[in-house]
Formats: sequence, structure tokens, C-alpha cells
Amino acid sequence: MPIKVLAFAGSPRRGGNSETLLDWVLDVIRKEPEVEIEKIHLDEANVNPCRGCNACEVLNKCVQRDGMDVLHDKIITCHILILAAPIFCMGINAQSKALVDRFQVFRSRKYVLKLPVVSPELKGKRQGIFLSTAGQDWDYVFDGAIPTVKCFFHVVDVRDRDTRYLMVKGVDEKGAILSHPTAQHDAEKLAKDMIMKVRDLLEHEP
Amino acid sequence: MPVKVLGISGSPHRHGNTEVLLDAFLAGVTEEGGEADKVILKDIEYSPCRGCNTCHKDGECIVKDQAIPLFDRILMMDCLAAASPIYSMGITAELKGLIDRAQYIWARKFILKTLYFTDDHVRSHKGIFISTAGLSWDNVFDAAFPAITAFFNTIGFEYYDNIIANEMDKYHGIRGHPTALKEAHAKGREVVRVLEALKRDVPDTD
Repeated sequence: MPIKVLAFAGSPRRGGNSETLLDWVLDVIRKEPEVEIEKIHLDEANVNPCRGCNACEVLNKCVQRDGMDVLHDKIITCHILILAAPIFCMGINAQSKALVDRFQVFRSRKYVLKLPVVSPELKGKRQGIFLSTAGQDWDYVFDGAIPTVKCFFHVVDVRDRDTRYLMVKGVDEKGAILSHPTAQHDAEKLAKDMIMKVRDLLEHEP
Repeated sequence: MPVKVLGISGSPHRHGNTEVLLDAFLAGVTEEGGEADKVILKDIEYSPCRGCNTCHKDGECIVKDQAIPLFDRILMMDCLAAASPIYSMGITAELKGLIDRAQYIWARKFILKTLYFTDDHVRSHKGIFISTAGLSWDNVFDAAFPAITAFFNTIGFEYYDNIIANEMDKYHGIRGHPTALKEAHAKGREVVRVLEALKRDVPDTD
């Protein structure tokens, strides 16, 4: 069975810093045998914000018909879920926040309807990666983003301890990350570690 | 001149908990003689920030939509109440979408240095964050504060106070909350009194 990777490039800026970080990760994974990678440009994915209607608490599905219809199954069947989002104004950018908020349907499934979100063979095996970049150089620049990102992974059964974070501050203009001393190395190492971990988990299935 | 107050409702949900809390605040404003108005973000046409950084060069946003006249209006106010429920530990994509668009004001202030707010200006412009959350966690608003802080700072408003209420699920909505609506109403009256006093002390020069 191939390892399925679903990656969201959340930035409206194509080929910018957070997407470069994502591409470094995906380039390593792509060289591995038996992997299926899907990269989604959120800007083109037609994901509207959550309407806050709470209908999913009853219907077990979202009332909106948009890009999430296509993404829904991919989100719950992948082994590695990646979100790459830049920091705008001390939080993830609005487009990425809209995607996170649309995960409300999974939250309702899990906590209100108490139904499984992923199939039993994936339970406890899914891994998450959050990649982010920020123009500011402040140590706390990612603090507002992290709780939201935790929600994103948590409601689709990617455990906290199975989520890795690579967040690079002080990169603003397009291409700035290319001259960062460690970002590429860290991204590649993270990807290698992650793929090894998933292989290990899948090989040691009971 | 009466104290001008604008409430911005970032909820996709009309007349929900957050908007009702905002309404209580605005009713207090009116009662004290202030001039209160309300904008429903979901009803106006604006798109998220493109992250293109063009505004870093000329201080203008290339996206010409209703966000620009809204910012013009915000900058004319004495008090801004930014209201959003908490979704996935953050403000809604709607409010985040607007805040991210303030980047051109940020660029004028911090990059081009064509915009400067005096201390007196900041002191006499009050920003208030209004929010509700379903969960009871004490930290449920924490990840929202950095984006709100950054926003008020960008537009030259002092972050005056929060009007926040959690445990909406337990109270079955804001109307079941023992104190929140009364406090919001009182805060509306208070902020008008405070701003009136400031206007007397510091004649408006801008």
C-alpha cells in the first residue's frame, strides 16, 4: 500500500517562503518508493469559510457544496497530512484559517455524533506536519497560530505527539527563505524522519 | 461631535452570540450619547490579502474592493469594536480576512513611514475585542489576542479592553450567561464617557 501524503499550500503567494518550505519536504518524500503525493493550492481549491450553522452536528456533513466535497475523503484517508501556511498579522492567513474552520464537520463527527473519523487501520498511525514562515523575527510570532493548528490535526485523528512543526521566522520577501541558514536542511530532515516513521508504523501492523 | 463607534461583526452567523454581545455594547454606546453603527462582514464583498507585498512599495492595496472604503471608515472612528466568535481557537476567517488586508496600512506605518499616529491619537482611539466561545477552557481566547493586538496597533487604536464570554455551550447561548450582556452594555457607556473626556482634554487635530 502506498503512503498517501496530502499537502496544503495555504499561501496566496505562489512559490513564496512557506510553499518553498513545503516543496523541500515533498521533494524528499517524492524520491521514496511507493508514495502518493497530492499538493493542493488552497487559493485555487474553492474552500469557503465555515458558516457557523452547526448543521454538521446533526447532518454529519457540511451544507456547503464547494471544494471541500473533493477534499473531504482525501483528508481522512492520507497517512501524512501537511499544512503550510504563512503568518499574516500574528495568525495563519485567512485562507488557511477558512480550511481549518471547515474541519468543524470532523469535530462534529468526533465529539457530537461520536462517530469514527478515520478507518480503524489508520487510527493512531496518521502523522501531521505544520510548516510556517513569518516576516517578523519575534520569538512569539507563531504563538497565535499553534492552538488553531492543533485543532486542525486533532479533529482528524492526527495526535499531538504525531505532529511535527517547522516554523521559520524573519523571512518576508519572496525567496528570503532560500538564504536561511538551516531551513532547507531542517525541512529535508523532517521529511526523512517522517517517512521512516510511517513506514515503520505500517510495516508493524498486527 | 458625538463619540463615533463602529462595531464590526465577523461572525458568519447573523444574530448569534457574538453579534448579540456586540449589540449590547452598541446599545450602551447609544444610551450614553455616542453614535453607533455596525458592519456585518459576511455581507460585504472583500477578498483575503494576496500576500503580494505590492503595498510595501507604494502603501496602496492592489485589491480594489469593499475592504478599502471600510478601512477609510474605520480610521474615522473614535472606537472600533471588532467582534468574532472563536472557531478552532482563533477568530473567524471573515475577520482574519479583513485584518490581513490592513497590511497596506501597516506598510505605510512601518515600511514607508508615511503614516504616524501620535500618542494622543492612539490614546483617544479605543479598540475593543468582543468574542464568545463554546468551550469552557480559560485559554480559549488566548490565540485570538495576538491578531487583534496587531490589528489595533496597525490602525492606531489603543487596545482598550475585551468583552468576552466563554462556556456558551453550557449557558445555551449568550442570553443564558449571567453577566456578559450587562457588562457589554456597561462597557459601551464607559467607553463613550472616557472618550468624551479625552476629546475635551485633547482637541481633535486629525
